[in-house]
Amino acid sequence: MVPVPDSRPRLVPYLVSAASVAFVGVAAYALTRFVPLPHVSIVFLAAVLTSAALWGFWPAVLAAVLSVAASMYFFYAPIFDFRVADAQNVTDLAVFVVVAALTSRLAANVRAQGLEARRRQESVTALLAFSEALAESTSDAALHATVIGHLSPVLGNPIHLLLPQEDRLAPAASCAGAAALPDEVHAAASRVMDGGEAALPGWRLERLVAAQHPVGVVASKEPAPRADADYRRALLGHAALAIERARLRREIAEARIKGQGEALREALINSVSHDLQTPLAAILGSATALESLEEQGDRRELVATIRDQAERLAGDIENVLDLTRIRAGQIAPRLELVELADIVNAALRRKQKALGAHAVEVALPPDLPMLRLDLFLMEHALANVLDNAAKHAPAGSTLRIAAAVHNGAVVLEVTDEGGGIRAGDLERIFDPFYRGAGPEGRPAPGTGLGLAICRAFVEANGASVAALSAGPGRGATLRIRLPVPAGAPVEIPSDE
Amino acid sequence: MSEAMTRVLVVDDEPQIRKFLRLGLQGHGYAVLEAASAGDALRVAVAEQPELVVLDLGLPDREGFEVLSALREWSRVPVLVLSVRSREGEKVRAFDLGADDYVVKPFGMPELLARIKAALRRRVAAAVGEPLFRVGGLEVDLARRIVRVDDVEVRLSPKQYRLLQVLVSNAGKVVTHRQLLGEVWGAAHRDDIQYLRVFVRKLRSRIEAEPARPRYLLTELGVGYRLRTPDQLSGPA
Repeated sequence: MVPVPDSRPRLVPYLVSAASVAFVGVAAYALTRFVPLPHVSIVFLAAVLTSAALWGFWPAVLAAVLSVAASMYFFYAPIFDFRVADAQNVTDLAVFVVVAALTSRLAANVRAQGLEARRRQESVTALLAFSEALAESTSDAALHATVIGHLSPVLGNPIHLLLPQEDRLAPAASCAGAAALPDEVHAAASRVMDGGEAALPGWRLERLVAAQHPVGVVASKEPAPRADADYRRALLGHAALAIERARLRREIAEARIKGQGEALREALINSVSHDLQTPLAAILGSATALESLEEQGDRRELVATIRDQAERLAGDIENVLDLTRIRAGQIAPRLELVELADIVNAALRRKQKALGAHAVEVALPPDLPMLRLDLFLMEHALANVLDNAAKHAPAGSTLRIAAAVHNGAVVLEVTDEGGGIRAGDLERIFDPFYRGAGPEGRPAPGTGLGLAICRAFVEANGASVAALSAGPGRGATLRIRLPVPAGAPVEIPSDE
Repeated sequence: MSEAMTRVLVVDDEPQIRKFLRLGLQGHGYAVLEAASAGDALRVAVAEQPELVVLDLGLPDREGFEVLSALREWSRVPVLVLSVRSREGEKVRAFDLGADDYVVKPFGMPELLARIKAALRRRVAAAVGEPLFRVGGLEVDLARRIVRVDDVEVRLSPKQYRLLQVLVSNAGKVVTHRQLLGEVWGAAHRDDIQYLRVFVRKLRSRIEAEPARPRYLLTELGVGYRLRTPDQLSGPA
């Protein structure tokens, strides 16, 4: 800890100053026995300067006053009398007083600067030691102990360090033997952390700030030991930076581990996806090749069944993989301004075969605003809706796709003439693995993942999807609400 | 194997996929060459000069894209790219590198056969270079720069006409956003896909009866646009 200059008057310097004047007086008196000393005050200047250099200004002033008195009393005629007869001696004393005052001031300044320099050096050394100790603290616990150890001499004891943990301030460390942090201090510290004022009698609360960002609070019991304010601020700043650095380091490490985990998961999904899809591609390809070469008949029908089921399995596997990607948090939408009609047409084209037995009516107004969406996620979501409708609506029924602008959003509706949905199931149909009834009342084929994936993809686009139905037997509507992006329409370069 | 048979090079590292492609294609009158790696593919392509290449993008030694760009340095042979669905971004890259078509695995033989036929036919049509393009009620007279829809002349702005012209000269084939932007607005605008979307909407309103349900100018989601040829109009999209 750095000593702080004491401003309280102390007796010793004055006594020593007086003694040095006495000593110089005796010496001068002895000297005048052998040599004449017309300007004896010069000799007293030695005592004044010594006092100034050693003790500062006020002891030097005392020395000067005593010197003048001694000169008048002992050396200037009339001797043993404070009066001074000789005009030259009066001048002599006047000059002495001025010179003594000036030199005392100068000497005292030099002394003060020396003291200040020493104090600063000690501050710097102490801060450096603190920095080194912080740098060497490899664990959070060690870091907190170092902070407590270096702060308690300037802030007082017992001392507590409070750091944010999961959105609230919690005690992280305290000095050895400290009692548990009282609740009211904890509450006050939380207010201080949030930038508020919290005066708590008997406690001192210091906010640790790194890069204008609060990182924690130090609570210590008053009274605090005497310490230089600059030094205290510097210590607190160092502690704040070290704590912030440790937090960032931890975050980086966590992000790296998370990134590695994600990369591993992605590699696994891709590998599983390849392993499942390659044999299926060979089965489907072989079946269709065989089918295209086979004459009409039983054999061709059997091959067609293999093809049908392979296609269905391919669809199911795709859904399971999509759900795995959603669960793994791997859905990263790439939003761009797109035409809804493009997405609807692409989904219809993909589901052409599934919708072969249904009539499809599309009513998209030509002036729909462009939307900010991920093309592929939205197309996939819509394809799943179409697939679902095709499964639940009887062959020969009509599927209607319509869109309209409503309340700052484009509302896209897909309506079927299928079995409808019970009021209690309107939300459940979006649950993974939930399967509603098909046209014949039996559970519809498939994994029950289509609409769950649809909802995840729609929501990834900042949109929402809901099911509506007038009840069993009265058809159902899937309504997707797509917000219209704010901002000016796209500027087009010259049309010429 | 007679000389008249069209020779197709199949590049895929999975033997089962190669096997069904070989048997399926042979069954429909094609002669099939095979390669299991990028290195093999380029060697066979140089030595045998196939008339069409079916290229899988996931190869063991090098990426399929590299085969594609190496091929395109010296050959205009139609290339049909195969890849799995979860990698939509690959489509754009394949078309930008000069692929003629793209088929998503798993696929059925009839689909592949249709795509192969279309690619081969386009090649023949491109060699002839008709000055008059017709699909359904849309007629583009490239020599006189006149566009008619159901026998009524349609006025297009110069940029709209240029866009249509680029699509006509690649009729039946997907033209990527970048290719269209580069051809119509110049290299500086290659990434302004939003401009293109707004522009296509305008062009459709002139040439399509129902712009939201286009018959001629189709969107290839996330990749680009394709102007249908008459036989694509009659067949499946």
